[in-house]
Amino acid sequence: MSDRKAELERKKAKLRAIREDKDRRRREKEQKDAEEALQRASATSSLDSRRDIDEMLSSLGVAPVKDVLSSLSSMTSLSPPQTASPDASLPHTDKASLQLQGGPKKQPQELQVVFVQSTDIPPKETVIYTKQTQTTTSGVTELRDGCSSNASPLAGYMEDWWRPRKDEYNLNPGLEWEDEFTVLTFDGDVARQGDDEEAAFHGKLPPGILPHGLPTVKEVQPAVTDAPVEKKDEEKEKKAVRELSADEKQTIMLSAEFQRFMSRAGRVIERALAESVDIYTDYTGGGDGENALYSKGDDKSAARLSLVRTFEEERWSRGRCVTCLDWSTFHPELVLASYYNSDDAPHDPDGVCLVWNTKFKKTTPEDIFHCQSAVMSATFARFHPNLILGGTYSGQIVLWDNRVQKRTPVQRTPLSSVAHTHPVYCLSVIGSQNAHNLISVSTDGRLCSWSLDMLSQPQETLELQHRQAKPVAVTCMDCPQTMLNNFVLGSEDGNVYTGCLYGQRAGVTECVEAHAGPLTGVSCHAAAGPVDLAHLYLTCSVDWSVKLWSLKESKPLYSFEDNGDYLVDVRWSPAHPALFAAADAASRLDLWNLNRDTEVPIASVQAEGGAAFSRVSWSPAGSLVTAGDDRGKISVYELAEQVWSPRHDEWNKLVYTLQELRNNQADDDAALSPPPSLSSIASIASNPLR
Amino acid sequence: MANEAEDTIRKLSTYKGVVGVVVVNGEGIPIKTTLDNHISVQYAGLLTALVDKAKTVVRDLDPSNDLTFLRIRSKKSEVMVAPDKEFILIVVQNPVE
Repeated sequence: MSDRKAELERKKAKLRAIREDKDRRRREKEQKDAEEALQRASATSSLDSRRDIDEMLSSLGVAPVKDVLSSLSSMTSLSPPQTASPDASLPHTDKASLQLQGGPKKQPQELQVVFVQSTDIPPKETVIYTKQTQTTTSGVTELRDGCSSNASPLAGYMEDWWRPRKDEYNLNPGLEWEDEFTVLTFDGDVARQGDDEEAAFHGKLPPGILPHGLPTVKEVQPAVTDAPVEKKDEEKEKKAVRELSADEKQTIMLSAEFQRFMSRAGRVIERALAESVDIYTDYTGGGDGENALYSKGDDKSAARLSLVRTFEEERWSRGRCVTCLDWSTFHPELVLASYYNSDDAPHDPDGVCLVWNTKFKKTTPEDIFHCQSAVMSATFARFHPNLILGGTYSGQIVLWDNRVQKRTPVQRTPLSSVAHTHPVYCLSVIGSQNAHNLISVSTDGRLCSWSLDMLSQPQETLELQHRQAKPVAVTCMDCPQTMLNNFVLGSEDGNVYTGCLYGQRAGVTECVEAHAGPLTGVSCHAAAGPVDLAHLYLTCSVDWSVKLWSLKESKPLYSFEDNGDYLVDVRWSPAHPALFAAADAASRLDLWNLNRDTEVPIASVQAEGGAAFSRVSWSPAGSLVTAGDDRGKISVYELAEQVWSPRHDEWNKLVYTLQELRNNQADDDAALSPPPSLSSIASIASNPLR
Repeated sequence: MANEAEDTIRKLSTYKGVVGVVVVNGEGIPIKTTLDNHISVQYAGLLTALVDKAKTVVRDLDPSNDLTFLRIRSKKSEVMVAPDKEFILIVVQNPVE
């Protein structure tokens, strides 16, 4: 610790010494400067204006300068060697002062008039070549000499060259004499390009000396002469085109490129127009925006099922019954709707397919397709992002492509006995990316399997017959998720037929008597989860009921009898294992959750207008339900979060529920049938409520 | 087929708040418009230059990039420009509150 202290002390002493040194030096310098200044002052005054001052002073009655000087010099303790100041530029003046001083100190010497050697060095004329166009730039000031060096660093240097400037800042030590000058300029040049400071510094330098030591390359400013010429050209152009514009415009508008451009750009602009988000909303003023949102949010959470949007198109969808709804796998916001023919517009094509976009708020469809025969079923080609397939009333299958600008199909299957001759009610693409087929079923019981590359003839045909003679009049079809070879059909006679697509036992294998009337919808369980529930399927029919079945059993697991009108469609949710939607002809849409309640739907909504629903579908994520009605309107309903998103245990819960349902069923059966033995009595006794 | 383009233009011009629609070709001459001629010509001329400048900006920042949409929001209106290789679609809209 002590040696550190000593170190500190030493350092402090050193610092002090250095400081004192500095101070001393500074004082010395100051003294010297003062002396020099004094010297100079005395010297200059003695030379230039001495005579004038002498005259003036003597006229005023004051002692002439030299007397004053002598008194001054006697006061200041200047020794002759010090007068030889390092200022080499003033030797002449010093000599004079010496002479002067020497005079009063020694004996008053004889003063002589010394002829001053004045040398006059004319400024070195530099010839400047500039590598730019010798055009006048706009706003240039007139130059005194003919040198048009406007943009060079030495521009304006030659201005006022005749006016001598002193080397005030001692920039040129090469000048010997104190009154030597270099050609300097004032920097007030408006036309000078480049920043002012730099140019000012340039101005004070003698010619030939560049500030940075290297020639600077400045960009040549383009001559600004084109502006008026351009305008004239434009006007001429406009005038010229206006003369022959009408025809030209028409030809341009009829060109294919223009059509394509309009469809693309029109789409984009429509989406932009439809987004009515005002980014300038001022919440400090009103505060309504946020509140409204919040209240809406509350409402939504309260309402499980709420109408978000309706899709309808004035020209193409009005008055047409929605026959099918399908969602795209590539773009989950796109929904495809196919329409039946319209009685109002007999001249319009019978079959219409519209692709709607749920992401943007625009009210017009993304794509419009139509064909000559009414489209009964439609689907996106699952593995082709641009293709849309439709099954028509005439039995043809048509293919549309949204890359092409046509609204009519690009391909059609032939109308022959090889393919379908009855309306194609069911269409689906099954398989995997590399091995997929299009399955189409028509109402005459024929199932065709097609390859999308070749639609001229089906790859396979299958006659769906039960018990050899009776063809099945198929109204709806679905395939279980995991058992891709199987299918489930609903028919007009109220039966459900199950069978295999390929293999040895291709065809209908089983028949289940399901409903008392034609089936309108069949849906196989869609939500994949930890438990395999793919054997479950739902059916709905015009007998006002929805029934839950399992492929393993021939009796229904449960029957939902809550409706009071024809059931038109039923669909399992793709996300929630126990959730399904059912729509009926009284425009009522029901949401059932088997894990919560099997007696009543958990949510139900009635659509206004009195139109009957005709189709129901779920969005791939499971958060939206769309229902199409027979007037051509598609209503999109949004579900509350807790309704549509499943928890982990939903699958297990569903298994329990099913078990319970089975138990209840068994008990019901047991209760109905007369108890023949004690065991059955025991079973009844154990369930007193039954 | 010309009907489709006309339909699109008509549909756009009947949207809520839209003041006018102008379709301009590559030279800056309006081909089809729903506004007065001199206004259309003005819009066409000014916006063609602006679209070119905007394209240059985008391209200079990243040569593989390209301008797809230009939207000018002003106090009184909004101009939406959808440029293409040969044509430009301009829509003038009054912002809807």
